[in-house]
Amino acid sequence: MENERAKAAQRTTRLHLGMEAMETLRQVEEFPDNPLAMGYFYKLFQKMFTGDSMLPENKQIIATMCVQVPDELIYATGAVPFRLCSGAYAYDQIGAEFMPAKSCPVVRATSGMLNINEEIWGDKLSSVVIPTTCDQKKKAAEQIGDWSYNVYSLEMPSSKESDAARFYWQESVKQFALDLQKITGRKITRKNVKKAIAKKSEAGQLYRKLHELRMSDSPVILGKDMLLVTNAFFMDDIDNWIPAVTKLLAELQERSSEKITVSGRNAPRVLLTGSPPVFPNIKVPILVEQSGAVIVADEVCSSSRLLYDAVAYDEEILNDMIPAIADRYLKPCTCPCLSPNNDRKRKLVEMVKDFKVDGVVYQAFSGCLPYEMEQMQIAKVLEEAGIPMLYVETDYSPEDQGQLSTRIEAFIESIKMRKRKRKGGIASAAGRL
Amino acid sequence: MHYFAGIDIGSTTIKIVLTDEKELLVADYVCPTGSHFHKHTVAAFNDVLEQNDISKKNVSYIFSTGYGRKLFKEADDSISEISANAVGAGKIAATVGKVSTIINIGGQDLKIISLDNDGHVKNFAMNDKCAAGTGRFLDMMARNLEVDVDELGNHHLNSTGVPLTINSTCTVFAESEIIGLLAGGSGKAEIIAGIHYSIAKRVARLSKRVGSLGDVIFFDGGPAMNQGLVQAIEDELMQKIVVPEKPQITTAYGAALIARETFLYEDGSYVDG
Amino acid sequence: MNKLKRAVNRSDISRFRFCFQIVSFVLLIYGGYLAINIGDQLPTFACVFDDARGGSCYLMGFQHQMSTPFDRMFTGRGIGILMGLMTFAGFFILLNKAWCGYVCPLGTIQDWITKIRTKTGIRYSTYSAPTFNKLKVIKYALLVLLILIPMGIGNSIAGLPKLSHDFAVPFCMICPGRTVLPLFNGDISQLAIDFSSIPKMVFSSLGLLITGIFFTGAFVKKRFICLFCPMSALHYIFSRASLLRLTKNADKCTRCGNCYRACDVGIRAIADDLEHKNIVKGDCMMCLKCVEVCPEEKCLQVSFVGLPIFESTEEGFFKRTTGKQNGK
Repeated sequence: MENERAKAAQRTTRLHLGMEAMETLRQVEEFPDNPLAMGYFYKLFQKMFTGDSMLPENKQIIATMCVQVPDELIYATGAVPFRLCSGAYAYDQIGAEFMPAKSCPVVRATSGMLNINEEIWGDKLSSVVIPTTCDQKKKAAEQIGDWSYNVYSLEMPSSKESDAARFYWQESVKQFALDLQKITGRKITRKNVKKAIAKKSEAGQLYRKLHELRMSDSPVILGKDMLLVTNAFFMDDIDNWIPAVTKLLAELQERSSEKITVSGRNAPRVLLTGSPPVFPNIKVPILVEQSGAVIVADEVCSSSRLLYDAVAYDEEILNDMIPAIADRYLKPCTCPCLSPNNDRKRKLVEMVKDFKVDGVVYQAFSGCLPYEMEQMQIAKVLEEAGIPMLYVETDYSPEDQGQLSTRIEAFIESIKMRKRKRKGGIASAAGRL
Repeated sequence: MHYFAGIDIGSTTIKIVLTDEKELLVADYVCPTGSHFHKHTVAAFNDVLEQNDISKKNVSYIFSTGYGRKLFKEADDSISEISANAVGAGKIAATVGKVSTIINIGGQDLKIISLDNDGHVKNFAMNDKCAAGTGRFLDMMARNLEVDVDELGNHHLNSTGVPLTINSTCTVFAESEIIGLLAGGSGKAEIIAGIHYSIAKRVARLSKRVGSLGDVIFFDGGPAMNQGLVQAIEDELMQKIVVPEKPQITTAYGAALIARETFLYEDGSYVDG
Repeated sequence: MNKLKRAVNRSDISRFRFCFQIVSFVLLIYGGYLAINIGDQLPTFACVFDDARGGSCYLMGFQHQMSTPFDRMFTGRGIGILMGLMTFAGFFILLNKAWCGYVCPLGTIQDWITKIRTKTGIRYSTYSAPTFNKLKVIKYALLVLLILIPMGIGNSIAGLPKLSHDFAVPFCMICPGRTVLPLFNGDISQLAIDFSSIPKMVFSSLGLLITGIFFTGAFVKKRFICLFCPMSALHYIFSRASLLRLTKNADKCTRCGNCYRACDVGIRAIADDLEHKNIVKGDCMMCLKCVEVCPEEKCLQVSFVGLPIFESTEEGFFKRTTGKQNGK
């Protein structure tokens, strides 16, 4: 009886997941003139969310949460990293059954996903690595550990300023490397770490090229597509991801030289920051672009923070390479679980300049206190820089779409009016009174 | 002669405004949205044209706004009600001064919009998912008290006692509170005043989210016709507020003004005054 | 021009430095054989005790000059001292701290030792920031002693008797340059302990001890001895006036710390200082490894007389790191 009910719940959740994914994909593909190379990513998500299982086949899987888990070390063992952080409302609803109403949807959905798939995933995931980032992830880690998962808590400092914090993290990552050898039964050597760094660096270089392409005055890729590309990195095999992005990049570069753009020259340029948009929950970015703006840059852990930073080691010995990898995941990190987080403020102001941003959209998931609280500081910094910011508090439920679209449209309209006025053309009627 | 239309399709009522090239208000029209809002909008629009003897081809540009803006395909363009409201209120209140904040209570929402010196939307706050403290809430309460919603203001002004406390702005809970108060023998007028104050308190709370309210606070939307509510909000904000003669049509008027500007701009004959 | 700039920014500065160091080393240690003499006021350790040197270290002459009695400082001798200092400064401002990173033979030897250590797979040690900040003061104390002790030979300071001439050139006596560099010409005489007087015996034994520390230190920690070098302290006085500059655009910095980790001397400010444009600190040797490992466009910049000659670029960064990763 119990078993049958669980089976039914799994079936219904899978159905919901598929419906949700297809609806998001429909909205994504509805935009005119999508790059052909994006087809790979649309299909990938369709397959992942409507197929039998999301997990990669025939690979040893090390599941991760948060951007601070060093992929390089996992690649070095020959296993594949699989980032769990979920954006699915279907899983969020499962999580809501046992998690507090005010908890963060990312944590809730991820816990829900692990809960409902426990039977199969428990065997397939060699380990679930959860860094001690925010309080909710830490507590969720303990809970997930009670199920049939092998949870690895990767100790991380709550600040990155002092040398002590840096060394603590380096030691923590070194220990992780040692433990990974036990988990996977394979040795981490100088040679395979070197290869792993090179592979991740190749992905990073591709990301940076896309990133720079978005700085141009005539944008060639929409933010919703960009987010799908980076989201795909969570789950896709890096060896498939790299050629797919290479193809996309080539197509975009060609479009750029032919002056084919995704929007008019005057479309407001928006920077997205805050809680991570993860497929299928990319409703805010989609609404922004449906309102006629272009997301030209993002500062979120499901995109730029995931792929931008690069590892540089000085000496080719494990004792220098592993600390170098560790540094890459802590020092430039702008996760609000770190305090102080002045680097995030500086980065945002710099990005506003580099990407000629007209306005910032700050998304915070209700329940994600670090982002909700940091909003005040960011708002202040951006106000000083003279950049309008829209703060939207939202979650994974589709119910607030109407409200959100009005708010987002009004924000984009106000940017447009400001832009027109600056150009000395038509002013808003109110502006002339 | 060119005319410009602004059509505000709200959750409860449809508002239509026509202006001419000089931004003068030529006609305004309010009717319930009903279930077939598209059909109703088309019919209402034709009514307005007929009543004012204007041919459809003289209407050079139509802007739709409000929740139904996207679905009214006859419009040339659409704009969010927040932007349209800012433009309309700015123009209507021009004689009083520069509007710094707009309080808009609609059928199902409650908005606080703060404007900068140029009349641009600077910041805004809206109620979240539910309709607490909106026009719909007033409707429901009036029905419970068996008074006409248009009479709520008069009842309030005629009340002699201290307004009663209604703790909840949630329609369901407020209803049971009111039933309790009625059963306890409280006066209708005091209950109504209490309802108004509970909405006003909500407005005051929400307005804290947009920062400073400034000197000129403009109150529009259907419930702004309710004098009792106006007084309650003035008390809670501790400040005088400006209520236009026709509070329901500000947003539609704003949309019409934007239609006019867009048309003249595209036409090339626009001169920035 | 742009092409050249791009080529330079993509280049492997460390390899260039390796070659430059060899050339400088040969010139300073063996230049005498070719009758080369660059001068006696070099802001680097071209040791006077090496007979075949191609130039001389300024500190030797400087210590001698400091033992001039005070009353004679204001005669022609004084002008000589001033001229010497000006020549030193003139040499220095040309290359700034790059004298340490590109020319100094003692620095070069330490870098070679580092290369040997890397082959063994042993990790280098680092100081924590507080320790570093404490230790870096020592070189200024040495600089003061290096001036005061010779002064005590020529003058009676604070009523104390004059020091004996056995205290002459005290820094040279303890400098590993005196013991190590002549070795490259087969001269082992400096390794002996001088028993002629107590001060000389103390100084020469100390010199030997420091020589030992020099070698072991370099094996444990990159550029170990440089943190205590009084020449480096003297450099820093003139550093701001230098023509060669290393600047940082803090807006571009992500504080990823790649530069700090690459820094052989361990200057934390390179990653964390967001206020100063001039980023050459007292211990910097301008090896420019920080610029090499910085992936941010134009965040770190080297300029000569205001002209940018080498900048951090994303392209250069990935070219160098992938080159390294592919085993080139």
